[in-house]
Amino acid sequence: MIKLFFVTDIHGSNVCFRKFLNALPIYGVDVAVLLGDLTGKVLVPLVEKTSSSWECTLMGQHVAIDTEDELGKIKKTIENAGYYWVHQTRDEFEAMRSDPARIDALFKELVLKRVQEWLDLADERLAGKPFQMYMAPGNDDWFVIDDMIDAATLIKPCDMRVVEIDKHEMITCSWSNPTPWDTPREVSEAELEAKLEGLCGLVKNHETAIYNFHVPPHGYSLDLCPKLDENLTMAAEEKIHAGSVGAKKVVEKYQPLLGLHGHIHESRGAQKAGRTLLINPGSEYSEGILKGVLIMLDKKKIKDYVFTSG
Amino acid sequence: MAEEQLAFARKASGLVRGLSMWDAFGVGFMNQGLTPSIVVMTSLGVGVYTGGNMIIAVVLSVILAGIGMPIVWGVLGGSMPRSGGEYIYNSRIIHPIIGIAESFGNAFVWIMWIYVLAPWIADPGLTMLASFTGAQGLADWATQPYATFILATIANIIAFCFVVFGIKIFARAQKIIMAIGIGGCIVLTVVLSISAGGFADSWNEMAAKHNSLDYNAFLKAVEAQAGAAMPTTWNWFDSLGVMVAASWAFAYAYCMAFIAGEVKRPDKTIIMANLFAVLVPGIFCLWTAIALYQLDFNFLSAAFYADNLENYAWSIEGFNLPFSTNYVGLAFIMLPNAVLGVIYALSYIAFALWWVTLSYLAFPRIIFAWGMDRMGPKWFTDVDARWASPVKNHVLCFILGEIGIALYVFWTNSPLQGLAVTGLEVVTVFGVTAIAALIFPYRKRARGIWNASPYRTWKLLGIPVVTLGAFVDLIYLAILFVFFFIMPDLRDFTRTGVIFFCSIWLAGILWYFYWKWRSRTVGVDVSMTYGELPPE
Repeated sequence: MIKLFFVTDIHGSNVCFRKFLNALPIYGVDVAVLLGDLTGKVLVPLVEKTSSSWECTLMGQHVAIDTEDELGKIKKTIENAGYYWVHQTRDEFEAMRSDPARIDALFKELVLKRVQEWLDLADERLAGKPFQMYMAPGNDDWFVIDDMIDAATLIKPCDMRVVEIDKHEMITCSWSNPTPWDTPREVSEAELEAKLEGLCGLVKNHETAIYNFHVPPHGYSLDLCPKLDENLTMAAEEKIHAGSVGAKKVVEKYQPLLGLHGHIHESRGAQKAGRTLLINPGSEYSEGILKGVLIMLDKKKIKDYVFTSG
Repeated sequence: MAEEQLAFARKASGLVRGLSMWDAFGVGFMNQGLTPSIVVMTSLGVGVYTGGNMIIAVVLSVILAGIGMPIVWGVLGGSMPRSGGEYIYNSRIIHPIIGIAESFGNAFVWIMWIYVLAPWIADPGLTMLASFTGAQGLADWATQPYATFILATIANIIAFCFVVFGIKIFARAQKIIMAIGIGGCIVLTVVLSISAGGFADSWNEMAAKHNSLDYNAFLKAVEAQAGAAMPTTWNWFDSLGVMVAASWAFAYAYCMAFIAGEVKRPDKTIIMANLFAVLVPGIFCLWTAIALYQLDFNFLSAAFYADNLENYAWSIEGFNLPFSTNYVGLAFIMLPNAVLGVIYALSYIAFALWWVTLSYLAFPRIIFAWGMDRMGPKWFTDVDARWASPVKNHVLCFILGEIGIALYVFWTNSPLQGLAVTGLEVVTVFGVTAIAALIFPYRKRARGIWNASPYRTWKLLGIPVVTLGAFVDLIYLAILFVFFFIMPDLRDFTRTGVIFFCSIWLAGILWYFYWKWRSRTVGVDVSMTYGELPPE
């Protein structure tokens, strides 16, 4: 039996990544899988007011920073929430505000810097330890991140390929069906289904396989999220299924042992689809909470699972 | 003008948390149950502590609950924004055994609220409505045990349907029910405020019509039954005693802890929504008390004393009015208008019905949280894909509620009803959680959570605000606890009730050890789910 720890959608949160690495010995994990989305969504300029005071907007609130000590704390808060910060003068901020290409370039620079920091930290923490760790991006993540994971020393890449975990074949797909945000890795349902079918074709024994698809299958309880209005604002009163029909088709067709999913942060849970156990551990990265699931895997069956929150 | 946004966001998927402060306030406020809570404060509070001053009781309650409850529940909910209620806080801060035992008690409390409050929709809810409109036959029918069972079952089914089909129906229904409830309460309080003059004449006119005791005769008859004269002025002891019953309007906003995992900006939302959910009922209770004190103090005490008797005011020989002497009945006497009577009764019924509904919000989420921590069977965490709700948990809640209603209606057991539920909650839920909040900043096992808490820098005189708030909350709870246990009508509770509640706690502890053992057999150490991971 092996103990598999699965976490997804930490979206740039430094504290969640560190907790993930710390969880491996604490939970007694054999194999750890960290799936995307790995990158954050918000860049917070720390705009200079004077030589020793700054201001920013954090989680919708204007924040005045008057000491170096406060500045250090706010930077840590920003990083832990999965955001990025940059020092700017008022002129630099105004110039960037009117130039989306510069914002995009700076975002990319900071995102890649943090991913590299994580990979380096993992190399440091995993060295000489018995844990196997797999990592793959999600639909929010730029393609350059694949190259960084491929180049990592101790972390193993797993996206769009078959890897073997103690006799279990695991396939991983970072792509999603269309979202309202037009993210880097999304395709039409038909294209996604074709990608998934291609991946499934690589699996020799579906009965013991693990399907590690970022987007959950459509129509189960793991893909429920608030409906968005035309301004992409949440309508709290109504939930819709946002999963992939293609993922549903291949899961129901091949009936693997286990389906591991993410993408829909609020739909933490587990559900059976025929003989397949589908799990979405959810995500609360912005609160610095590491949501995960521990799965006890026998050769041909799942002995048990338990959700974690740390 | 909108504030300048000093931040850039990129296009990325994955939003979480959809409920606003208004939604959280709605849940908290509706669990304070305005109109029936004022009935409880007057008839159960002043009815027992007849020298109680409602204004003092309300002001003290608003100060203590208004400081203590929002800080305790807001800080805990904002620091651990999950939808399992106080089980999450107590298991993480104090100990998993305390968490599950306390939560076991609270799960039972929410079932108790179904079987106590669903029958209230029949009597006094429907009976008031029927008697105000002259439908005495319907009023008499509604008081029959089988009729009460049928009506309570219908209420239970309606409440089940409001929640089981998802948050959309729940949220819409809550807005309508809230409008009916608050609207009726406003009308009721306005009538009390402007029509109290000449109340004795209005009473006598109504009494003559129904061949009932006149104003003075009623007062004397109540005093004869009580074996003592009704007080003509207030005293501090009784005023503190009234706070026990008044707590129904101030202590129950904590219900929003069950949606803490779904609200936006939980660090601010829960604390503010909780505060408003104390202040708004406070305004109504104060307004009602001031309006009622236009009547003679001793008559008011007599009316509420009579309404608190086993057969309401009809326990007083010679009393023949078609409705009892709770504060709603007194308003009807002041201005006997059938339409107004229907509005009052519907307000009462609306709040009572929503209380039952909120049990369906809380109970399934409590056991869902147990399931997530592997403290129950896996099906506790099943979410129905169509309705986006834990349907199996709702069905279990319905079944337990129905069993409770049947026992309550056909085998009334006084230690397990009415204020007895409050007694259990004061000790089990509010007390334990206040202690968790008190020690939160100092507890080693919760150090990681505290360090990540947005409230860790909130201090007053160097002491964490959560500790100070918990201290104020414990003062409030201590008052409720003392006056609950010395309450004359509830002495039985101190015997049967305590044994009963201890049994529930014991069952909770056994439940914890069973699931811990069961998980260990398959290689899972459930205690790991309670620990905070080191962030560095």
